[in-house]
Amino acid sequence: MPYYRGVCNFCGTGCGHLLQVEEGRVRGVYPLPGHPLSQGRLCVRGWHIHELLQTEERITGAFIRENGQLRQVALNEALAYAAKKLQKLSGEEIAFLASPRASNEDNYLFGKFARAVMKSNNLSLASDAGQEESARVLLEGCGWPAATDSLSRLKQADFILVAGGDLTRQNPIVASEIHRARRAGAFVATISPRKTQMARLSRLHLRPAPGTMALVFEALARIIYEEKKVDLEYLNKSTENYQDYLNYLEKINLEEILDLTGIAREALTELAGRLSSAKLAYVFYPTGVQSLDRRTMAALFNLMLITGKLGQGEGGIIPVAGLSNLLGSYDMGLSPDFLPGYLRVADENSCQKFEELWQTKINRTPGKSVSANLAENKSLRALMVVDHDEEIIRNVSRIKELELVIYFGAYQNAFARLANVIIPRPSYAEADGTYTNFERRVQLNRQKVKPLAEVQPLWKTLSWLAQALGHNWHYESAEQVMAEISRVVPQYSGLTYEKLDSSLGIKWPVDERHPEGTDCLLLKQNNAKFRFVLEEKSLSQSALFAEKSTNFPFKLTVGRSNYFWHQNSVMKRTFIPKREYNALLLLYPKGFVEISAEDASRLNLREKQLVRLISESAEITLAARISPDVLPGQLYIPYFVEEMIPEFLLRQVAELEKNEEYFLPVKLEKVG
Amino acid sequence: MYWLEQSQVEMLLSKLAENYELFGPRRDEVSGEVIFDRLEDLHQLDLSAPIPYNPPKYILFPHYEEILKYRYNRKTKEVAIERINHLKPKALVGLRACDLNGLMCLDRFFLGQEFVDEIYLEHRKKLFLVSNTCVRPFPQCFCVCTDSGPAAREGFDLDLTLAGERYLVEVGSKKGQKMVEELGLKEAGPEAAGWKKKVVDESVSSFDAFAVENKAWISRATNRLTTGFIKPEVWEFIGNQCFECGACSFVCPTCSCFNVEDVNRLDGTTDRVRTWDSCSFEGYTKMAGDHNPRKPVEDRRNKRFFCKLSYSQSKKYLRPGCVGCGRCARVCPGDIGLPNVVTYIRREITGE
Ligand code: SF4
Ligand code: SF4
Ligand code: SF4
Repeated sequence: MPYYRGVCNFCGTGCGHLLQVEEGRVRGVYPLPGHPLSQGRLCVRGWHIHELLQTEERITGAFIRENGQLRQVALNEALAYAAKKLQKLSGEEIAFLASPRASNEDNYLFGKFARAVMKSNNLSLASDAGQEESARVLLEGCGWPAATDSLSRLKQADFILVAGGDLTRQNPIVASEIHRARRAGAFVATISPRKTQMARLSRLHLRPAPGTMALVFEALARIIYEEKKVDLEYLNKSTENYQDYLNYLEKINLEEILDLTGIAREALTELAGRLSSAKLAYVFYPTGVQSLDRRTMAALFNLMLITGKLGQGEGGIIPVAGLSNLLGSYDMGLSPDFLPGYLRVADENSCQKFEELWQTKINRTPGKSVSANLAENKSLRALMVVDHDEEIIRNVSRIKELELVIYFGAYQNAFARLANVIIPRPSYAEADGTYTNFERRVQLNRQKVKPLAEVQPLWKTLSWLAQALGHNWHYESAEQVMAEISRVVPQYSGLTYEKLDSSLGIKWPVDERHPEGTDCLLLKQNNAKFRFVLEEKSLSQSALFAEKSTNFPFKLTVGRSNYFWHQNSVMKRTFIPKREYNALLLLYPKGFVEISAEDASRLNLREKQLVRLISESAEITLAARISPDVLPGQLYIPYFVEEMIPEFLLRQVAELEKNEEYFLPVKLEKVG
Repeated sequence: MYWLEQSQVEMLLSKLAENYELFGPRRDEVSGEVIFDRLEDLHQLDLSAPIPYNPPKYILFPHYEEILKYRYNRKTKEVAIERINHLKPKALVGLRACDLNGLMCLDRFFLGQEFVDEIYLEHRKKLFLVSNTCVRPFPQCFCVCTDSGPAAREGFDLDLTLAGERYLVEVGSKKGQKMVEELGLKEAGPEAAGWKKKVVDESVSSFDAFAVENKAWISRATNRLTTGFIKPEVWEFIGNQCFECGACSFVCPTCSCFNVEDVNRLDGTTDRVRTWDSCSFEGYTKMAGDHNPRKPVEDRRNKRFFCKLSYSQSKKYLRPGCVGCGRCARVCPGDIGLPNVVTYIRREITGE
């Protein structure tokens, strides 16, 4: 029986697969047909995960750095060394960089280690992800931090809106489900400046100017309100602050919005009509890299609320996590201010609850993300990092100043070069663990291959460290960690390995009321009150842009693709996806910038001609790629083209990554 | 022909297990789906299971396989080559006719051309093949349109057809003959061929009722493809829906695209690795260069269906390159498996 059931560990879709294992090695992969979400499909990444799992570019032993040199040592020696160093640190002095592809068990203990052992709330994921912002908006608006429904009824939908990103690239199997729903009759609309494949598969594609998507949602709400299609009775009954929102809508100047967004009124009216008459409506937006910004998510939430699409329970808002366990990472509290289960560090009762559960004091001072720490925290002395999948490391010079960098990793990585202590980790096929996909589906992925003796799961190495630091951590298995998670995280309270083993995932909340999990979050909460999420600030980028537009007439945006995931640190260990990446680079060895045919002809540019992009702070030379996918006035760089980033985008990369609504004003010149 | 009682199936398997690793359809206990897998326990074999989700292709042409190992000595500048030869004999039991035909297409690709692929040959010559007639088609099947089922005509060592409670066994090779003799199976007499024909005819006539997913229109589509009378918009429409995942090639029992990589190992040796590949990938065909980024995708799609259905390709394989298993329809994120493409072509012809 060489084929074993498991879960793809790349993106947050969480497709079911079968790993082919022969003589202790992963030799192939095949889609798992009966999986309720992926139903026997995988994307190009998922089809090549076995290539990654076979690489020998692994971290196979523990290392400590002495006199600048890394020296391989026994695992327990490295741990003892790390413990001795950690003894002298706490709170502000240390920060924790977690991995959104690690299991819930590993992530939960990593967070607990930060808070309970090291008394630090400086805990975050590698890329500051839109997932957290999305959780905040949804918590504020409806009391739940994640997808309000799953995809099980998507085929019955009559309206689907995809806002931003390109799901056909980021989460292809989610896009495939939307495509199938369209074939079954749903009206699918995409809103994105760029003509993506998702847009090609849609009935309607709106292309607002970069930075104006929030305005589009507000305009839609305004149109629906104007047309008196708003059910005031419902709003009165089910929402707390609808009057504030209506007041806000009344102040909107529709003409101005049309002008700023560049969208025709008829298109907006059509979309508004489709949405307000829909019986079962879903909106999707990507989280993680290339997410929407907070204001846009809030505007979208409000639009769904005013049209009554949340009150019916089914359907609603589906944030699509770009990374395997991104949602699970937040469920486990890998954030400066969310404790496990989305309780707040700022809330005294929550802190007391955790002190009781963990039997130790925790720090009440809210922490900061790791990148904020590296940028601002002068007292920072140490960093603990789990599997940094990205190739580019920001704040390298600051990291080099730190006294202690402990890196827990499965694969060789540039970050390991900055570490003083390296602790090996198993690949996800080498350990038991659960992963939570964007639908809230918690899936157990069993160990299929035995790792080398010195390679121990993170929950175990962390337990040893905690013990060495005087904490009573006695976990014998990932299952025991899950048993604790189920006591600590209310949404996970009904989960056990036994239950998970005989299922293909269970969607949280799993508790006494929902022992088999919950498809649709809002369905059973019929007396729930919603809130419109209102934003104080609205310094829109368009205002910002207006000042600069004369000098920097182009709006530059960035995006991602199938193969070029994670700046290639993961994909470059495969054959086929790597080759596909190189095939593109072969044509444009210096990288490329996409420009519309109109602008190209206006500027007299030929395909592949070199151009210089100049922003306020930097410049770069690239080949022009004339593309029907971008509008005049816009430029697009595939962010994955690693070589482009350090030179040009690095300063903006944090902003560019955070949300898709961000763009960089630039000018463009021909070279030579 | 011979009779194999249900109670004798285990005997056949045990006998095979003496000399072969056993492969056959088994059900995954949680998802309930059928996988053509190595059987650790004879009882895992389920001869009544529907067509497995994966074709047995991977057994002869693995997803990832070291085909050669070499060590380069820097000092002497010599290369020491080591052949990898660890292949065990395998018995494939319960092959559906489409998959057996798929295997024969692979034979023609790997063995029937100017160069014989030695690694494939190594796998191939150690096989024992037991096919299993589909007495009733499954929803995704259209082998009757591609002349590859529901019963196997050749290529097997033994062929089973469930007739009532027991199996009619047809012998297809000397190896097979030896096996039935060793097992002491009862001869079925001169009427056996007629019984088998009756079972197969019934199966064929039940396609309308049971094989409901993919009503193909293969011959007309073949015509169109070969003559090139398909409007570019049809390919554009199809190309727009392709997610470029490669699945259609990976799951196809007849697709033989592969990629070769040299991988340096930590011990100083280098493995030459062969992996599955797909014509849906840009890097496979290096057809890029056009500056309409979608155009190459359409062309690649067009190429695949040409490969599966056109006359010129059929001549190469001595049969259509599609064996009607319907798998590419189930795995395709874009819903453009071969049967759907045939439908689009039909619509174009009929203007539906
Ligand atoms: S969509 Fe995501 S989870 Fe599914 S196969 Fe692709 S990378 Fe893996
Ligand atoms: S083209 Fe599709 S239906 Fe035909 S043999 Fe290949 S996978 Fe099966
Ligand atoms: S399975 Fe479908 S989406 Fe994937 S490469 Fe083939 S045709 Fe394209």
